[in-house]
Amino acid sequence: MSKAQSTPKVPDTPDVESASIEDRLYTVKYKDSGESHLGIQIPGICDEKCTTYECTNVCPADVWRADEGGIPTIAYENCLECGSCRFACPHGNVEWEYPETGNGVSYKYG
Amino acid sequence: MSQQAVQETDTATEEVPNYDNDFDTIVVGAGLAGTAAALTLARQGYDPLVIERGPSPGTKNVFGGVLYTPRIRELTDFADAPKERYVSKKTYSMLSEEGDETSLSIAPSSWREEPHNDSWMVLRGDFDEWFAEQAVEAGATLVTETTVTDLIEENGEIVGVRTDRPDGELRAPMVVLAEGANSLVSEGSGLKQQDSRDNVAVSVKEVRKYDRDTIEDRFHLDGQAGLAAHYFGDGAVGDAVGGGFLYTNKRTVSIGVVYSIEDAAHGDKTPDEVLAEFKQHPAVAPLVRGGRMLEYSAHAIPEGGPDSMPDLVHDGAVIVGDAAGLVLNSGIHLEGTNMAVESGYHAGQAIADALDNGRTDEAALASYETELRNSYVVKNLDHYGWFMDTAADEKEFLFDDLPRALGQAGEEYFKMDDTPKEEHVSAAKQRILTATGGWFGAARKAWKFRKMLS
Repeated sequence: MSKAQSTPKVPDTPDVESASIEDRLYTVKYKDSGESHLGIQIPGICDEKCTTYECTNVCPADVWRADEGGIPTIAYENCLECGSCRFACPHGNVEWEYPETGNGVSYKYG
Repeated sequence: MSQQAVQETDTATEEVPNYDNDFDTIVVGAGLAGTAAALTLARQGYDPLVIERGPSPGTKNVFGGVLYTPRIRELTDFADAPKERYVSKKTYSMLSEEGDETSLSIAPSSWREEPHNDSWMVLRGDFDEWFAEQAVEAGATLVTETTVTDLIEENGEIVGVRTDRPDGELRAPMVVLAEGANSLVSEGSGLKQQDSRDNVAVSVKEVRKYDRDTIEDRFHLDGQAGLAAHYFGDGAVGDAVGGGFLYTNKRTVSIGVVYSIEDAAHGDKTPDEVLAEFKQHPAVAPLVRGGRMLEYSAHAIPEGGPDSMPDLVHDGAVIVGDAAGLVLNSGIHLEGTNMAVESGYHAGQAIADALDNGRTDEAALASYETELRNSYVVKNLDHYGWFMDTAADEKEFLFDDLPRALGQAGEEYFKMDDTPKEEHVSAAKQRILTATGGWFGAARKAWKFRKMLS
């Protein structure tokens, strides 16, 4: 998935592990609250006003998806709680809470 | 003295005891700033309660990798702290997207001696838990898996917090907001504005496992010595203001990228893709080949500098650490951990003084802000406040043209052929001058960035 290589291949450069987002997220300990801590304030804004879907560009965990346009889907169980989408949305349309009572990601190394 | 954890005993079905005003101070978040505040208060005989949303301190925290320890060393028996390696060498490398690297390496021999320039690689899962234990041993109380959702205000004064626990209201004379980069409580209560996205960076990181010998051989390290490597330019984070980093731990390597959310929003690659490309750069790939990813992590970083700092002091509350925007990025200095601890320490002192006088109003707490402004924390932020804006203005030069020109100049300068060196030197100079816009442009850029090294 993340094999997008714009750097030209320089001789005698070893190939390094390039993990898929699924493999990356698999390394993170996670407890599901069963309920999304993320949301969209006014879906109509995404549907009618937004053309850039900047939430999907900044998200490092493939939580926000809008391949078909329209209203983005939210895979909240991928969320690393970084907060980037909160800042990124130019319409201020991201609803962002902390997962409750100890749920969500739990980093071992940090 | 230490009343460990009210934690876990309160479920929805049980009668919840009332802890109102059992504690002098409620600290929101058991990161470095919150714990430093709690530790400082507990040492002065006060009873702080630290409320942490993660299962244990450190589990929600992410950083690059270096803990700067001047104040922590004073506050704790730091010799006992879980540490990885001290920074024995720093490198700064410009990477072009064509694969060039131009770097500078700094390794003063004194860094190998105690106290190692107060610069240690740590893992936050280990360190924050230990640091919180020091506060608990000093008399603080820690509650985990509890999220503060809101502040309780009465007559314009903050008198407690609401949590996500049943009957989760808790009152105390003082509240310390140490909630980190995503300061939902402070913002929700109108104590600060959400930062604009050009003032916030997104960071992603991998912690990778290698055996100790591999790390020491690969990075020329021995004993507890370690490397802190910083990377700039198109080859690090593409067309964005930011950079890459690599820190060596005992048996792991932390590698990641940090760049402006403004740039990420416009970018055609997601942060994980930017990281994957950085790792594959010819200057970086040999350093991270093999091994195994133990953990992937991500976090937002407030990098707005002095203009983004909210009002730090309110009636009944203070804001510390990342929540107060206390992160320094001068291009060369990348600091936050020391500033978090320093702010927590000064906040703790100011609260203790105010409580001594039976007060919690803004005026009584003003010494927190005064002390912080007189300390290196705000002085450094003020001194380097110009950098992030200038870097954004000069993005193409700094991160694209310059790394490429340096790579090409190096190639010219050292070129082996039948042309006299004088001509190569002249060609090398020309590469740099073209990138800077001639002698006049070079002088202007030198003037613009003059404070970078001062």
